[in-house]
Order: sequence, then structure tokens, then C-alpha cells
Amino acid sequence: MNTSRFFLAGILGVSLLGVAAMPQATGNQVALIKQSSIVFAGTVSQLGATSFTGVPKSAQTAVVRVDSVLKKPSAVSLKKGDNVTVELKDPSAFQQGAQATFYTEGWIFGSGVAVKELGHEFKTSSGETPKPAGADEKTYQHAQEQIGDQELQDRLNSADFVVVGRVTDVHRWNAPKSATTRVSEHDPDWHEAVVEVQSVLKGAQVKGNKVVVRFPGRNDVAWVHSPKFAKNQQGIFCLSKDQASGVPTAMVGGRQVTVYTCLGHGDSLPMSDVPRVRSLLKN
Amino acid sequence: MKALAAFWLRFLTLAAFMMIAGFALVRGQSSGIRVVNLIPASLSGETNQDSEPFLAVQTVNPQIMVASAFTPNPFSTSGNAPVYVSEDAGATWVLSAITPVQRMTCDITHAMPTGENHPRGDLHAGTLACAASITLDESESNDVSSSAVMNVQSTRGNVDQPFVRALGISNTDRIYVGVNDFNQPNGHTATVDVSVDGGATYKSFSIETRKTAGQDGPSVRPAIAADNTVYVAFFGWRKFNGTVATSDVVVVRDDKGGTGPNPFQALKDPSDKLPGRIVVKRASIPWSNAPTLGQERVGSTLSIAVDPNNSSTVYVGWADHGSKGDIYTLHVRRSTDRGVTWSKTDLPHTTIRNATNIALAVANNGTVGMLYQQLSASRWVTHVVQSRDAFATVQDLILANVPANTPVQQFLPYLGDYDYLLAVGNEFRGVFCANNTPDLTNFPQGVTYQRAADFSTKTLTDGSGNPVAISIDPFYFSVPVKP
Repeated sequence: MNTSRFFLAGILGVSLLGVAAMPQATGNQVALIKQSSIVFAGTVSQLGATSFTGVPKSAQTAVVRVDSVLKKPSAVSLKKGDNVTVELKDPSAFQQGAQATFYTEGWIFGSGVAVKELGHEFKTSSGETPKPAGADEKTYQHAQEQIGDQELQDRLNSADFVVVGRVTDVHRWNAPKSATTRVSEHDPDWHEAVVEVQSVLKGAQVKGNKVVVRFPGRNDVAWVHSPKFAKNQQGIFCLSKDQASGVPTAMVGGRQVTVYTCLGHGDSLPMSDVPRVRSLLKN
Repeated sequence: MKALAAFWLRFLTLAAFMMIAGFALVRGQSSGIRVVNLIPASLSGETNQDSEPFLAVQTVNPQIMVASAFTPNPFSTSGNAPVYVSEDAGATWVLSAITPVQRMTCDITHAMPTGENHPRGDLHAGTLACAASITLDESESNDVSSSAVMNVQSTRGNVDQPFVRALGISNTDRIYVGVNDFNQPNGHTATVDVSVDGGATYKSFSIETRKTAGQDGPSVRPAIAADNTVYVAFFGWRKFNGTVATSDVVVVRDDKGGTGPNPFQALKDPSDKLPGRIVVKRASIPWSNAPTLGQERVGSTLSIAVDPNNSSTVYVGWADHGSKGDIYTLHVRRSTDRGVTWSKTDLPHTTIRNATNIALAVANNGTVGMLYQQLSASRWVTHVVQSRDAFATVQDLILANVPANTPVQQFLPYLGDYDYLLAVGNEFRGVFCANNTPDLTNFPQGVTYQRAADFSTKTLTDGSGNPVAISIDPFYFSVPVKP
């Protein structure tokens, strides 16, 4: 986010239009929502202050009373009437009593919430409650869906293969004696899933229509977010060449084949996501 | 008139006493003992398994503390993993995302020595980041209240379970990180990373000298005395069959803070004249990466503590198979001659069945403290024990007594592969993890919750009145040192 552009936009907005600044073009606000973990409308009640101890007070911090919460993680307690500490990008753009929608990321969590401003949108001159993208809730929800698409797009881009398939076999992988094995609480306990490929969404055709996917069977903290597979499971698999187990090949039907992993949260998707993935891969 | 004045004086004194007493008894908090749930009020909706706690105290400014657990970044999967920070001696805590690891660490320990004279630092942390590979970062913060992300000073891979201790000496910090370093040759994996310049540079020293089963156990635990004596305890694995490690409990010592020509070789065992005193030979230690002791895994609980004012006295505690029928049994031994000889049998009151997460500490007056968690009648019972006479007589306080079957584990470790105890002035301070049901009968010494909790209905809420499921939370405690 470009601070000087914010500042300039603020000056132009206030001096020429008589309304408050729009931090970015509406089209870019989807990106702003994506960046933001907490979005709320609020009223600045005190500048150069904090709302709870444990937050470093500075000229950039302000206490903002929450008028409505538009986006937050479920774990975070935040509701209308709460006081939030906001570290502002440009405090000179704000006065006590200013009303705005704040696009923020979490900062410090204590008896209250402290956030860092990524952008803001002042309340319009007509007195409307500011909302993300300057639009209604449907637009906001649409923007949130786009965020999911963007994250999924990133995953698809980083994968070597994306296939639709069915798990035909799951077995424990016993590393060859030549492989270096270490005993650790974080030992992944590698398992292999043989996936019968029904269609390839990204990557070349698969010889023999089967791929071997190595995955951690262990429920250790190191692997808690990695997908675990079961026989007959169907879905989309975002696969990367195995760089984790130390032995990146396996024998399937007497043939040596490349082994893949699928370690990230969200690298395994349900069949219902096939149209969405196909659409994203066309982009 | 005088009688009337005296009456009012007595009345007001009594009223003041009752007010203070009433305040102290809020949530049943016992006098001088503090137990605090670390989850902040603004995260009342969280249901994470916040297990494996650790604690660092700024010893010259002990109001400042940092605690950690497997707590994920609460607002971003790509943001930094957080720690808990207190600036009021543990009464309140905030969560601040300052570690160099993305989202959540898969091991974290830390210490706050005072050599560099940063009143809100220096926090030195060893963190493991878990992705396709596991990476150790050794990092520093000069001001834990600033919310700035810690500065990574050293990074390397293929190591396990970093355990950080530190000591401030002559305007600098000496840092000792016990690690199980799979990069070491010949299976001599028990290692100490030593920095004598505040973490700017590290040297790695293998402290294993005997033949191993390909590697040592994960736990490598340093302990430091003010006179530069450094002890390190580790499990020298001699055989391993997948479920049992036949292990020596070994202690090494260095008298110059690890800075001499042959570091950590001051102690030699009389049996083979090799460096490293074998406290217990060929203990049978169960190894299970699945729920074994209740919902907890077992295999590597180990602790060592040195008397800060008399470095000749050192205690070591560990767990093994114990007697027939036991799952995991704790033991504590003591040396009073700088680790040359050790008690032949467990100290009194320290053979504890079906228990784990032993943490030892010694206070300035020589009182030894022992924190542990015992599975008893389907409940996890957290004890802190103190003794002035090597456990011949003990004061045993139960900090928590909570259901062991709920919540269902989200991953392992359930409570942690370790908890932690420190001696600070006239207090023992520590951290443990437990089921967070807001039920006063679960916390015999009383408890304070920061997160929204209704003790009358024994339910958690999200701050807006909506119920929140029970989970594992980290708890801070302090107890006065037995005089």
C-alpha cells in the first residue's frame, strides 16, 4: 500500500470533493479486503491514545469506537460499542469524531483488540454508513468469495500437477534401508495414497493413470494441517514433486514413478470445487 | 469521644481487611498464589489446542514475561506465530505476533537474559518452523512490548526440539540451545548451540561421546549457574526398537560457560572414562507418538536444574517405564559434588507413577521446585512441589485437576512435550496447559480467566454471550518459595 498515494488521495478528497478520502480505486478494494483480517466501521474517539494496556502508545495510534463489524476471524471478540486501538497509516487525515470503515490486520490481542490500518474509507457526506467497496453487503460477500479464489489460484499456480481422482489404495511407506531415517516427535510417518487419475486439470498426462501421493500419517503438530487420505476418497489433488520424504520415487506396477506430496492445508479439495478450479485454471 | 473514634478506627480497619480478603478470594485465589489463564479476553472465541507452554522472565525486571504455546496467529494463516507478553508480573497478558515463524511454531522455547541491558528484552528464542522441512530459527527481540518481529540471527535445518537457556554476563548475553542435531556425524546428535555474543554467532558442540542407536533422544536440556557453570542433560540412546529406547541419562558439565578448548567435557564417567556422567544406565524409556498416557504421547520428558548460588548442587529428572504396570514414571536424582556422583536411588517423594512434563528449578535459598502433570482417575493433575531438604519433606500444591478425556486431541502433543518452571526472587513461576473448563473445583488454588467465562454455569463464551467449546489453554502460575 502506497502511503503517499493515500495522503494525496486524502487531500484531494477533502479539498476538492468535500467528502472524505477514498484510499484506492474501488476495483482495488477487493485486494484490500483480501489483505484485511478485520474490517469494521467506527468513530474515532481519541487520537494519540490506546484502548488497553500492552499496546505501545504513539502519535499513530487512535482509539476507535466500533459502530459495526464487517469482517473478523471467529476467534476474535469484537462487537458494536467496543473500543479498538488502530495504528493509523496517516494520523493527520483523522480528527476526533471522524467516521470511517477501517480495513485492518490484527496486531495485539489483550483485554481489547489492537489493529494496524491497511486502508480506510471515510463516511460519505450523505451520512451513509461506509461499507467496503462502497457498495452493499452482496458486493462485500462477492469480494470475499473472490478472496478464496485468489488463494486457490495461488495454490494451483504453485502445484506441479492438479488432478481429479480417486484413492484406490493407502499404505504405510517403509523407507528403503539406504534412506536416512530419524526418530523425532515430528516424524511424519509417511503413508502413500495411490490415486487413480480421472482427469488432469494441470500438467501432462499421467502414464498408467496412477500417481503416488506421499502424505504424513502422524497427527503431530508439525503435520496437523496436512491432508490425510483414505481409500475411495475422491476429489481434487494439488500435487508437488516430493521434496520432503528424501526418496522422491516409488515403484508402481514394476515401474519407477515420481512421487508427489500434497502437504498444504487446502491442497486437497472436494469434487464440488471442480468447476471452480477449471475456471481458475483457464485464467 | 475517644471510644467512638476507636470504634470507627476498628470498624474501618475491619472493613478494609474484609474488602482486601474478598478481593483476594475472587475466583478462590489462594493468598500469594496466582494462576492465570493466558488467553486474552479479545480472543474469547478461540478453541485451539494451545499446548506445550514455555516461559521466560526478565530477571532484572521480572514484571516482564513472555510465554508461548502452540497458539496459531489468530488472524492470518500467513502472519507470524504469536507469543504472550505480560508487563505486570503475570496478572494480565496480551498476544503479540512477533516470532519469525509463519502461523504457528512446532516447537518454541525462549529466555530473557539481562546482559545487554534491554529492560523489556532481550528475548532469545529457538523456534521450529514446520513445512515440507523443519527449520530452526535462533532469534532475538530487544523489546517485547514493541510488537516488532524478532530478528533472526541464525537458521539451520534438520534439528529437533530446541531448548533455550541464557545468562547475562558483562554486557552481553550467553545463549545455550540444546538441540537434537541430525547433522552431527556418527549418530552423536545430542548438541548444544552456544553463543557468547548475544546470538550474533553460534557454535555447535556435540556432547555425545558414546555409540548410539543412530541418534540420541530429542530432549537436550541445559542449566546455567551464575558462576558460568553449565550442565546439560540428555538421553543417550543405546538401543531403539521403535517403541522403547534403551537410554542412558547423561549429564555433561562445562565450568567456563562453554568457552574453553574442550567444552562440556569436565565430567567423565568412571565406567569408561568418557566425557558425560551416566546418571542412570540403560533406562527403558517408552516411545510413543500416539496417545499413550491418557491422550498424551510419551518418550522424552527430561529436566535439569542447578542451584544458582551453589553450582555444586544439581538435580536431574526424567521418566521411564518404571514398575510393572506403569506407563511412564518420573524420577529425580541429585548431585552435590558438581555431577561427579549422584544419588543411587530416586530422591524421596520423586518416584511418581503415570506422570510426565517434569520441570525442575532451584530458588536462591536452595529450595528445589518440581512441576509435573499426573494422570490420575481419568484426570490430569498438575502439581508443584517444593522442598528444602532434597524432597525428604515436601510441600505439594495442586494447581489444576481437570478431565483428561475432554477435549478430544486435535494433534499431539495434547498438553505438551514439556512445561516449564523458573525461580525468580522469592517466587517459583511456571506455565502448564490444561482443559479450560471454568470450574473452580478444577483449580484448588483459585484461578483468573482473562477470556470470557461464566464460572456459575461452567461455560466459556465468545464475549457476546455465545457458548464456546472447551479446549486446551496455557496457564501461568506463581507460588511463593518455601522459606
